[in-house]
Amino acid sequence: MSEEDSSLDRRSFVKLAGGAAASVTIAGCSGNGGDTPTEGGDDGGDTPTPTEESDGGDGGDGMDTATPTETEAGTATDEPVEEFPVTITQGQPPSTLDPHDHRETPTDTVVLHAYEGVLARSPGGEIFENLATSFERVEPGVVRFDIREGVQFHNGDDLTPRDVAYSVNRIVDGSVGFESPQSDQLAGVTGASVVDGERAVEVESDGLNPVVFSLFANYCDVMQRSWVRADDTEPATQMNGTGPFQLSSYEEGVQVVFERFDGYWDDPAEVTELTFLGASEASTRVNQLLEGETDIVVNVPPQEISRLSNSDAASVAAEASTRIIYNGMRYDVEPFSDPQFRRAMNYAVDLNSIIENVLQTFGDPTGQPTLEGFVGHNPDVEPYEYDPDQAEQLVSESGFEGAEIELHTPNGRYLRDFEIAQAVVEQIDSLSNVSCEVNQRDFGALAGELTDGDITTSPHFYLIGWGNATFDASQTIIPLLTSDGAVSSYSNEEVDTMMDNAQSEDDREERDSILQELNALLHDQAPWIFLNRQYSVYGSSERIDWTPRADERIDAYAISPAE
Amino acid sequence: MTTVSLGRFLLKRAVQGLFVVWGVVTVVFLLRFITPGDPVTFIAPLDASQELRRQIAAELGLNRPIYVQYLDYLWGLVWGDMGYSYISNTEAGARVFARLPATIELAVAATVVAVVLSIPLGVVSATRRHQPVDYGATLFSLVGISTPNFWLGIMLVLVLAVQFGFFPTSQRGIGFLPAIGQTLAQFDVGFVVGRLLELQLFDVWKYLTELPVTTWLAHITLPAITLGTYFTALITRLTRSGMLEELGEAYIRASRAKGLPESLVRYKHALRNTLAPVVTVVGLQLGTLIGGAVITEAVFAWPGLGTELIRAINLRDWPIIQGSLIVIGAGFVIVNTLVDALQAYLDPRVVAD
Repeated sequence: MSEEDSSLDRRSFVKLAGGAAASVTIAGCSGNGGDTPTEGGDDGGDTPTPTEESDGGDGGDGMDTATPTETEAGTATDEPVEEFPVTITQGQPPSTLDPHDHRETPTDTVVLHAYEGVLARSPGGEIFENLATSFERVEPGVVRFDIREGVQFHNGDDLTPRDVAYSVNRIVDGSVGFESPQSDQLAGVTGASVVDGERAVEVESDGLNPVVFSLFANYCDVMQRSWVRADDTEPATQMNGTGPFQLSSYEEGVQVVFERFDGYWDDPAEVTELTFLGASEASTRVNQLLEGETDIVVNVPPQEISRLSNSDAASVAAEASTRIIYNGMRYDVEPFSDPQFRRAMNYAVDLNSIIENVLQTFGDPTGQPTLEGFVGHNPDVEPYEYDPDQAEQLVSESGFEGAEIELHTPNGRYLRDFEIAQAVVEQIDSLSNVSCEVNQRDFGALAGELTDGDITTSPHFYLIGWGNATFDASQTIIPLLTSDGAVSSYSNEEVDTMMDNAQSEDDREERDSILQELNALLHDQAPWIFLNRQYSVYGSSERIDWTPRADERIDAYAISPAE
Repeated sequence: MTTVSLGRFLLKRAVQGLFVVWGVVTVVFLLRFITPGDPVTFIAPLDASQELRRQIAAELGLNRPIYVQYLDYLWGLVWGDMGYSYISNTEAGARVFARLPATIELAVAATVVAVVLSIPLGVVSATRRHQPVDYGATLFSLVGISTPNFWLGIMLVLVLAVQFGFFPTSQRGIGFLPAIGQTLAQFDVGFVVGRLLELQLFDVWKYLTELPVTTWLAHITLPAITLGTYFTALITRLTRSGMLEELGEAYIRASRAKGLPESLVRYKHALRNTLAPVVTVVGLQLGTLIGGAVITEAVFAWPGLGTELIRAINLRDWPIIQGSLIVIGAGFVIVNTLVDALQAYLDPRVVAD
């Protein structure tokens, strides 16, 4: 974080960074037809799907910057308004209130109002200290967090380093409490311990783990050890965090109500009461917003945009997400085993036309697995040009003329996924020497085949989305494009070696350079048809001042009344 | 009809019902094995090793022979245990039964709407045959039966909630019993009477609209109409045709010939005999509504069993899918058994048959 940032309080920082994150407000833009991410849609749904996997990081060493809250300006903010209730409607209610026992974006969005991590991210992805006051790499596999003083849990007890260490171990060590489904989100981390006599915690990793700070900026909410272990505690239905909101009431599967936590270590939130609702139907959510029954709704489909834009009560806000949509091609089966054929598929697809006509511009073209703004993104790599003649020639050179291929796709999981797949199939099928068909699949079944750890059960050619909230190339490339990747469709020794080199490189610039080179290689090898970066499209009430984030979180701490 | 024969009849029905529920349980249990999507995938971390996946499968009991899983499941059900949902982090039975009141409430409200509207409409339509009211009722029936309820729900919300703001667009607001309890606890008779005497009608209206029971009523009205419209149309047609048939019977002519008042002929004789099939259909439909409110619940974000079932299916949350389907099936059987009992009471020939 830069020095000038440190003159702001944390809430202002979060808000301003959001504004600087190039969010696109499109109120006034007319919606025209199109389709919708249906329930579960691109808000992450409710499953441990590839789209919700993430990790990565900036790979940087610790920075002992002054935290924003330690500044004069940080304590001299305006008095919070008296009553400012806010309601947020997601596609579904949270499945649990235990921050370590789920893998869903909607649940994350809810629990992160009561729980916090040692580090956090601005809406643009910048890491800053939260419950830690500083962080540094002590040695290659060990990092240290100095823990903030004066932080209280909602039950009035003070935060201790022991709580932080316990929270890390609760996720990565099955013997501590339970088998957390988030263990892979702290990839490489093996455990944590309190530094003797100091208000600090050391976290150990297996190997260098260059992305460890990035992981802690996204994951590992801190829980109170004694509270979790108490006999009468049920973390799935009760909450006791250090966050700016404390649980007021919880109706399982229906709604969660928070009230502002006045003992918060930083400035209290301006929102006094925060309610989370779930409505699976997009039109229901939009109706709620238009009627003033809610203030923010997720996943506004294109055909609903004009209703919001024409309303005086609400508007549409869109933000490029951290999710890439692509067509995986299995490297071990013909014709996709041939790089020329795979490149041909990329040339055959008119990506700009898809973004303009299918997505109504709610998407950015991609030409590499790493999104713009991520560590390792190569700015010199452009998306493939639409060139059907080149595509036909490459198919011919590959020797797979007359190939018949079938694209497996979910329907309704991502913004206009099926329509994107149809367009891709139509464009490939229009080549004179390839025929292509679309196969609409149940998302659960398709995701199951892709994530079962066995490449041979995966379809040869499929459309899927991948969210990587850690803003680091590694956490897309490792799981999806290395030989041992959990959801990999590709194997290439050169890629594996370069990735290993990047993961053992502790110089940030050098690592960034290796990753950029790797992205260029992957562009050339074309293991995927690189499609679009997905946008998150929200509706928000005019009574609130709020900016969407790239990581799909909705942070009510950054909401204030509209002026 | 003797009490003994009625008792035997009901016992027989109950035993039959048990077998039906057993059949439902068996089919629902087996469904899991023919449906794509492995629950382990939804629970395991993405980088889970095959060993960890096997461990999770073992923890879920999925590695045992099917018949062992089946018997274990049946035994659990006997004790009210529908299994634990690792995906939803909850006991499946607790989750399903927590959702059930909202669905029953909606199904009963839809039935009340249907019965209250349809029987008078059917009677009037039959007794004023070929008059405007008959044509109106027939047209309503046709439209009601032909209109998909998801479309009707969306239209009602757009017009009555979004456009005019008469009703909330969605959600349940408050449950029926809490609404009644809170209303009784806070209702101030003195205030209402006092304002009425002072002719402060707006104050009274405002007071009434803020009562919990009004909140409940406001939230349930549109879903109940949406769910009940098809049903209303169906019962209207049934009542009309039944009444027409009965009114043409010889005993009706005899009743009229001996000078009985027309109202007595219509409502005591013809209507009563018309009601037997109507009761059957109402019962069957109530069972259907419990299981069939899925779309309406989705449109109104109604936190009932239908919404839960869709969520569970999307997640392959089998304990909850199975629990929901079993409860829906059992509900259908219970309602039908009760309808049989009512039929037996209304028409002793049912028992004799």
